Amino acid sequence: MLHAQLPWWIGGPILGLCVVAMRWLMNERLGVMGAWSDVVDILAARRLSFGPFGWMLFGLVAGATAFALVAGGPDFHGYGWLTDTFSGTGGTLLVVAILLACGILIGLGATIAGGCTSGNGLSGNAMASPASLVATLTFFATGIAVTLVTEALIS
Amino acid sequence: MSTRVAAALIGVVFGAVLSWSGMTSPEVIREGLLFGSAYLFLFSAAAVATAFTGLYILRRKAPPALLTGETVQWETDRPQRRHVAGSVLFGVGWGVSGACPGPIATQLGQGIAWGVPTAVGLVLGIILVRRLQARAPRAEHVQARRDRVGGFAHAGAPDRAAPSRA
Repeated sequence: MLHAQLPWWIGGPILGLCVVAMRWLMNERLGVMGAWSDVVDILAARRLSFGPFGWMLFGLVAGATAFALVAGGPDFHGYGWLTDTFSGTGGTLLVVAILLACGILIGLGATIAGGCTSGNGLSGNAMASPASLVATLTFFATGIAVTLVTEALIS
Repeated sequence: MSTRVAAALIGVVFGAVLSWSGMTSPEVIREGLLFGSAYLFLFSAAAVATAFTGLYILRRKAPPALLTGETVQWETDRPQRRHVAGSVLFGVGWGVSGACPGPIATQLGQGIAWGVPTAVGLVLGIILVRRLQARAPRAEHVQARRDRVGGFAHAGAPDRAAPSRA
């Protein structure tokens, strides 16, 4: 049953309530990119005194682990279109390199833009932030364009 | 309850829902971005609508925050070039990998090894920005001045009521 996708009208509102809870409890903007930054910045300062955002990231990882344990392991085979397109040992190395590059773009871009899909896309728009709306329209348009282009290239 | 414990619990709920809804899977994201399924858009719209409604009420009532006692309030940014430029870079990484910071964390949590290279890249990206910021103090001052004019804290943590992190 847990392998069935949670209906959007249940999952979406719960994430929305997480944003409201973060604001009501501690007047903070829920953003996962900010959570990663908190952990990286504190480790870079050779400390371990993570703030609420760092602990939110640990919670995120723990929540996913709990889900995988309850659901009986992850329902994950290969890595989508990337491993479908690039197979074999050389292909796997290429996919790892591509994912590393994507990670750099994601970390760099979201930090410069002041948020990711959660910080700008979810929380920022809910805060009625004009900057977040512009950021969201930009990354959705870019994401859709890139997906369409890669789909055209492999088919 | 401390803010750290509360934030960790919110993270647990967020991570479990991201996993259960399939957002951890790059195929679900890709299917959405190709308009092959409405799930991604409906899920996002439902999340934003719920959060928007809750925050709208909070902003009108401006109560003291339950754990810290500070007044619940925030300022918003005007769109700047960095919001577009950063989101284009982010969108390319998201479109190719079908992953973003939340799902990268939940992939790691579920024990999916493919999350490792993406997570390493994400950390490198943050370090890269910090290096660039340290190397270009002048540019940062310009940015800081712009930010003050824009009425918010600092690049990397906008939309916050107070710059609690340096």
